[in-house]
Amino acid sequence: MIRHPAFAALLLSTACLAACLAARPARAADPGITDTEILIGDVEPLTGPPALLGVAASIGHKIAIAEANAAGGINGRKIKYVLEDDGYVTARTIQGVKKVIDVDKVFAMLGISGSGQSIAVMPVLEKAGIPTVIDVAPVKFLWEPPRKNVFVIGQSYEEGIIHLVNYLADKNPGKKWGLITQDDDYGVTVRDGFDSVVKAKKLNVVYSGNYKKGQQDFSSDMLQLKESGAEVFLAGGIIAENIAMMKELEKLGVKPVTGIFWPGRIEPVLKLMGPAGDGIYAVDYVEPFAGAAGKAFLDKAKPLVSEAEFKGINRYTMTGYAAAKVLIAAIERCGKEPSWACTIAELEKTKDVATGVMAPISFGPGVRFSNQKLQIMQADTATLSFKPVN
Amino acid sequence: MRTGDYKQTYGELVALVDSPPVWLWSAVLVLALIAAPHVLNSYALSLLTVILITATGALGLNILTGYTGLISLGHVGFLVTGAYAYAVLVAKYQMHPLIGLLGAGVVPAAASLVVGAPSLRLKGLYLAITTLAFSFIINTAILEMRWLTNGARGISVQRPQMFGVSFDGDAAFTYLCLAIATLTLFATLNIRRSRVGRAFVAIRDNDTAARVMGINLHAYKLLAFVTSAFITGIAGALYGLYLSFVSVEGFPFLLSIEALAILIVGGLGSALGAVLGTILIGLLPEATRIILGLFSAQMDALFTTGAQELKSMLYGLVIILFLRFQPRGLVGAWHDIRRTWVHWPLRY
Repeated sequence: MIRHPAFAALLLSTACLAACLAARPARAADPGITDTEILIGDVEPLTGPPALLGVAASIGHKIAIAEANAAGGINGRKIKYVLEDDGYVTARTIQGVKKVIDVDKVFAMLGISGSGQSIAVMPVLEKAGIPTVIDVAPVKFLWEPPRKNVFVIGQSYEEGIIHLVNYLADKNPGKKWGLITQDDDYGVTVRDGFDSVVKAKKLNVVYSGNYKKGQQDFSSDMLQLKESGAEVFLAGGIIAENIAMMKELEKLGVKPVTGIFWPGRIEPVLKLMGPAGDGIYAVDYVEPFAGAAGKAFLDKAKPLVSEAEFKGINRYTMTGYAAAKVLIAAIERCGKEPSWACTIAELEKTKDVATGVMAPISFGPGVRFSNQKLQIMQADTATLSFKPVN
Repeated sequence: MRTGDYKQTYGELVALVDSPPVWLWSAVLVLALIAAPHVLNSYALSLLTVILITATGALGLNILTGYTGLISLGHVGFLVTGAYAYAVLVAKYQMHPLIGLLGAGVVPAAASLVVGAPSLRLKGLYLAITTLAFSFIINTAILEMRWLTNGARGISVQRPQMFGVSFDGDAAFTYLCLAIATLTLFATLNIRRSRVGRAFVAIRDNDTAARVMGINLHAYKLLAFVTSAFITGIAGALYGLYLSFVSVEGFPFLLSIEALAILIVGGLGSALGAVLGTILIGLLPEATRIILGLFSAQMDALFTTGAQELKSMLYGLVIILFLRFQPRGLVGAWHDIRRTWVHWPLRY
């Protein structure tokens, strides 16, 4: 008679382990590819507040994949998209990436989640050597130094802020400036970009604030901004924060010339800001939906996604779409037998690939960052859209 | 016929394990864990690594909340302090990783004196809120001390190389986590059966009675905080190494709640409970996904794309079910099974 249940548990776990070992398939040279299918993986925040960007980016990937599949796939192979939720928690991003690479065995990666999450998974991606195109959060650490298999589409936060502040400074000479930033990596980057222009153009900064991530009430911050007499204001929030700031300024009866950054440049924000958001300036490297390119993209997307997904489209859908287009084109150029090495080599050869949603994309030997062209746009609350101004 | 586990001497009562077979099965388990990195894929290995790190942290919290009865909602503060202590010492000042690991324990232990001092006058919910406030203060301090911590930009950390062994690979890093988790388990088991551990339990059960028996409440409560923070800080350093990037964002408040959930589900006041709770909470989403995936591919997809919301719901459900049907946690259930096994067909 077995007296110890631990023995029974041990027998059971040994049997499970043996079964797992037996079930492990033999690993091919480059996984994620069969005669009929190519698997592309992605890890995004699909739940919680950051889902606004994660879901939109994944819709962009889906549009490009649906478009390619409708045209017969990649050299006859249909593309299957494997998507994993990380909830914007870094440890789960790492696990998610390891899962799609090792368990789902994808051929290439798109995405991936936020800036901190992308930075954290960089050793995993490098070690795996899997072709990866990052499109959600372009931060310098991802391409400096360049990694062989990791390509980044977009523009750096620093360059974006410098472009916006330069534009506003040229348009509003001699005015008093105000700035508020978030107390995280994003906020530090915005502040650094701002400070570099302040120094170069000798701007008169009368208000400089910092708020805690997640802050909802900006009444005292905006009151201080009003009392400082700032005439040009750089709102360094993301979505809810910028809305709260603009509503507060409206309540206080002041309307400085305001600039926001691309993480918050999504159309629903304008609806929530109401008249307070009219005329605010934004900087971005993707086309506004109000322009001809934006409208063409929406027309293309409509038949390829569900109604619910169509409603979730925002600027991140465009970045996701562009990344997926570039990756698919690179795999396609490898012909009938694509491999990781060939895909990486073809990604490197990417030269002026037109996606219709941003300026043509190029990489090169040792260049893993597409360095997209920036443009300034202005909000129009009547049409709830951003329109290019330059 | 054996009718139960009877302790006839004091030595038997304070023995680390019940009987030689338990040693044997424990050794077999350790051997299985040593073999695991060679047979598991990278994803399964990452799950195992996180479970080992979480078990270390949960064992640390168990000393404070399980043994001593002092509820902490701010243990993530010690976790992040430990991670930053390691990152600053090793990545910024290029010190030896062992000094980094020691610092990862010592710095949170020193910080725990700050939060431990009010615990001498506070109890229950009031203490929990104090520890919660501590975790917010720590985060703000880290963000403001840019000269030392890089503020919001965080610090990249490389996995260590010690005694000629590189822990850069996933398997090697898992071994490091396994070694530390095993040491922590032995340490906490030994603390529990020592004079100090009995004093902790006496304070938990009735601090007035404990004081009457001559236990110095101030000293032992502070000792519980310091010991718990030391272990949690080392878990924080391992977690930082796992993430390869230490920033305040990588240590959300939710980790404190998860740690408490682990203790409740595992069984408060038991080292074995902390380990079992960690395994259950760590593997619950994965096991659920596999089971649901057997029935429907759509359910599997739902779990993949809405994973974090479903995970939160599962955690909540499991805690409610345990509190309602098995308040003694997994370790209580294990004792029930063992008793039933030994006494069957008799009930007692």
